[in-house]
Amino acid sequence: MIKYLSAFLFLTATFAWADDSFLKSVKRMEWDDLKVVWIEDDKFPNFTASVYIQDGALGDSFPGVTQSMFDQLTSGTSKEGQRELAEFFDFYGANLKHTVTHEYSVFTVQALTKDINPVMGKVCELFKDAQFPESELQSYVSRAKSHLKNLVTSHSNLADRIFRKISLENTPYAQPAEGTLESYGKLSSSILKERLQEIKRAKKVLYIAGPKDVTGMEKTIAKCGWKNETALKRHELKRATGQSQIYLIPVPGANQAQIRIGRFMIRDEIGHKYDQFQFLAGFMGGSFTSKLVQELRVKRGLTYSAGAYVSIQRDYGRAGIITFSKTETTSEAIGIIRDVFGEVSNGKITPKEFSHQQGHEIGSYAFGFEEISAFIGQIMLYDHQGRNLSELVSFPERVAKMTPQELAESTLEVFPWEKQTVVVVGDKSLEKTLSRIRPVRVLNYQDFL
Amino acid sequence: MKLSLVLLICFALAACSTKTEKREKNLADSINLEVKEVKLKNGMTALIASNHKLPIFSLYLFYKVGSKNEKSGITGASHFLEHMMFKGAKKYGKGIIDFMIEGSGGSTNAYTTNDQTVYYENLPVSQLENILDIEADRMENLLLDKEDFTKERAVVLEERKMRYENSPRGQLYLGLMQNLYVGTPYGTSVIGEIPDLRSVTRDQIHKYFRRFYAPNNLSLVIVGDLDENKTEQILKDKFGELKPSPTVKEDQESLKDELFVPKLKDSKVIAMKGESPSPMFMMAWPTVKAGHPRGYALDVLSSILGSGKSSALINQYILIPRPVATSMYAAHQSLEKSGFFFVGGELVKGIKLEDFRLDLQKKLMGYCQTEITERSIQKIKNNYLVDLYSGLDTNAGLAQFLGERQLLFGDWRFYKKELTLYEKVTVSDVRKECMDVFSRPSIFVSVWDQHK
Repeated sequence: MIKYLSAFLFLTATFAWADDSFLKSVKRMEWDDLKVVWIEDDKFPNFTASVYIQDGALGDSFPGVTQSMFDQLTSGTSKEGQRELAEFFDFYGANLKHTVTHEYSVFTVQALTKDINPVMGKVCELFKDAQFPESELQSYVSRAKSHLKNLVTSHSNLADRIFRKISLENTPYAQPAEGTLESYGKLSSSILKERLQEIKRAKKVLYIAGPKDVTGMEKTIAKCGWKNETALKRHELKRATGQSQIYLIPVPGANQAQIRIGRFMIRDEIGHKYDQFQFLAGFMGGSFTSKLVQELRVKRGLTYSAGAYVSIQRDYGRAGIITFSKTETTSEAIGIIRDVFGEVSNGKITPKEFSHQQGHEIGSYAFGFEEISAFIGQIMLYDHQGRNLSELVSFPERVAKMTPQELAESTLEVFPWEKQTVVVVGDKSLEKTLSRIRPVRVLNYQDFL
Repeated sequence: MKLSLVLLICFALAACSTKTEKREKNLADSINLEVKEVKLKNGMTALIASNHKLPIFSLYLFYKVGSKNEKSGITGASHFLEHMMFKGAKKYGKGIIDFMIEGSGGSTNAYTTNDQTVYYENLPVSQLENILDIEADRMENLLLDKEDFTKERAVVLEERKMRYENSPRGQLYLGLMQNLYVGTPYGTSVIGEIPDLRSVTRDQIHKYFRRFYAPNNLSLVIVGDLDENKTEQILKDKFGELKPSPTVKEDQESLKDELFVPKLKDSKVIAMKGESPSPMFMMAWPTVKAGHPRGYALDVLSSILGSGKSSALINQYILIPRPVATSMYAAHQSLEKSGFFFVGGELVKGIKLEDFRLDLQKKLMGYCQTEITERSIQKIKNNYLVDLYSGLDTNAGLAQFLGERQLLFGDWRFYKKELTLYEKVTVSDVRKECMDVFSRPSIFVSVWDQHK
């Protein structure tokens, strides 16, 4: 069997599709003072336009304002009501989406190229004239609260929400980008209008993908009333402190426990180690052959999946493990994760494991350019992080030069056990077994809604 | 199969901005997918399509075996087998397959449905020959290692908890299928019943494997940066000598459509206790199997009712001053042997479930007159077109598109027929289907923590 494995690894080591040819399809322009990045793509007669806005949930006066503003952007203008607007966009098959992170927001429009002008024209009307009618807003608030109250049906989503709040406690990043039961009650038309004005003033970059026709939207976009005045407010965070407890959040009817382990990182800790941390996340979790999936699922049958991430924005990053297990094996699963962190930090990495991950990172590189939305996402994140796109080109080359020692060091930096916040959402009976790992603090899930 | 993506293709050249624009040529001829079809002597069908944009490819293998092929005592066998297919074969032994695929930068996974088990890989093009060798090896010589079998049983049981017991949505869908298709092969869970999962033996799974994993029960699709002639030759080399199953044809033919007809004589209301503070519901009506001409009007109907903010259900239950629901949806589920139309959603806390059910039933019938117009049908067609482009944006998207048609209809070119059928859908067709479906007996399933 070994000979087949070796053949594969040899192939992966020599595989190198890494040149700057894909960058030739990326063109940077300026339309007045709006920076524009155009990815030429004539596969289909459709387009994607994503406006990156350097203002996100950190700019909220209370949780959920930016998210709610975008959610309600199509709820009415002075000329048209919610139904008319919905009918307009649906008729053209236009897809409007938005993402609000703490540091930035993205508003995306996808439609057919031939409909650029009517669709983008209507989008501009929204930015200029959204009224956020109170009746629609109250309906939205009612739905949002109901949705939150029902979050207990999704233990995984609930665990994510609680983990953010606890692991980022005492930082401006702790409050959720979505609202809370309390904050939804504070929303009003005037607050959302004010937030829209702030968003319009924030610095922007427009990322568009499609055939040459898409550049014809320049005149339409000029009418959106977007300014490029305010930049991201920077935050200096203090390093995460040591953790001495496990947080247990009991939920009714749980026969599995959701496990979240991780921490936040500050700018100084991140440095310029983007590649190393990406490599570390891939090594630890996600794929079938990752370390934690092998240890938890393949060797012991303790879980179905185990994910790992190191996500980095401009001023902070988050690293973590996402998994779940049966109630009776939850403590064992946590113990194994702790041991894996320790072993990898101590350099217990076999050459086979390491070269396998190198092969994976290098070989999978081209897939990041296949789907246009993923390609835009990569470029946008690089721009936000302040990185040069040439780094994207040379990624495989740099991965090929990495060493097991670097992986061990990254693990020690990112996943020192004493700094990890551990959150478990599951049955209340877990308190006893979890306390053998660390003292347990029991919290009420309703306090996080 | 869910709402057909083919629908999206058929309007590729249709005018989308106004309802009055005319199409100048037959839409069925306006999109031509270039696919090389290879038929091996052992009955295997392979489809090859080139895309030279990046040095990568996607490989999809559609085995015509799913929960519909299982009997009592071995429910979940198809899905369990799907897990075991990653555990090694004779040449590519225990623990090797995942490492080979992922170590070269690829990704792999699989899924099981009522009708099919699908394996897929996305890989750098340098790995084409290797992956086809792996697939041929595991089709012929799956290990089914005893130790792995025991461990994987635990993983499958955990997956079942994750998908059903711990998920009110999963519980709801399972409850719907078990009640709508009670006494038919569609009336079991795809993951399997817990007692069966605990008791099923390696030998039973091995026999099941031998029955269904054969070249004459497989449709294979490759899309990517390929030399088509060279790919054909590799396929012949790797799969050409594999023996066909002598029984699989008989096995498949024994599953007559009549066995899958829901025996729903009167409407039923089923309340299931679950961990949902707000009621979640699904309401369903039996319809027609995949490929039936009436199914295309039902697809359009489901989109008019539940897709997009301007759709009837979302407009009248969600986007109102005092919302009744936080989510509403509608779809036409076309399975190989049967089909059903369903409406579902999650209600706002405090809404009386029974009042809602009666109101919904009344409103649905009313929608047949008020919501189905030339404009609403054109709007759905426009939406499908945009979705089509995003669906076919990747090698994997096209491979899945071709493979589903090959598996369900025995011919990937069936999309041409579907184009024609969608093209012909009229207001009166959709209204007729609407009146017909909503006047039939239905099943209403709900999950709520207030139920006993």
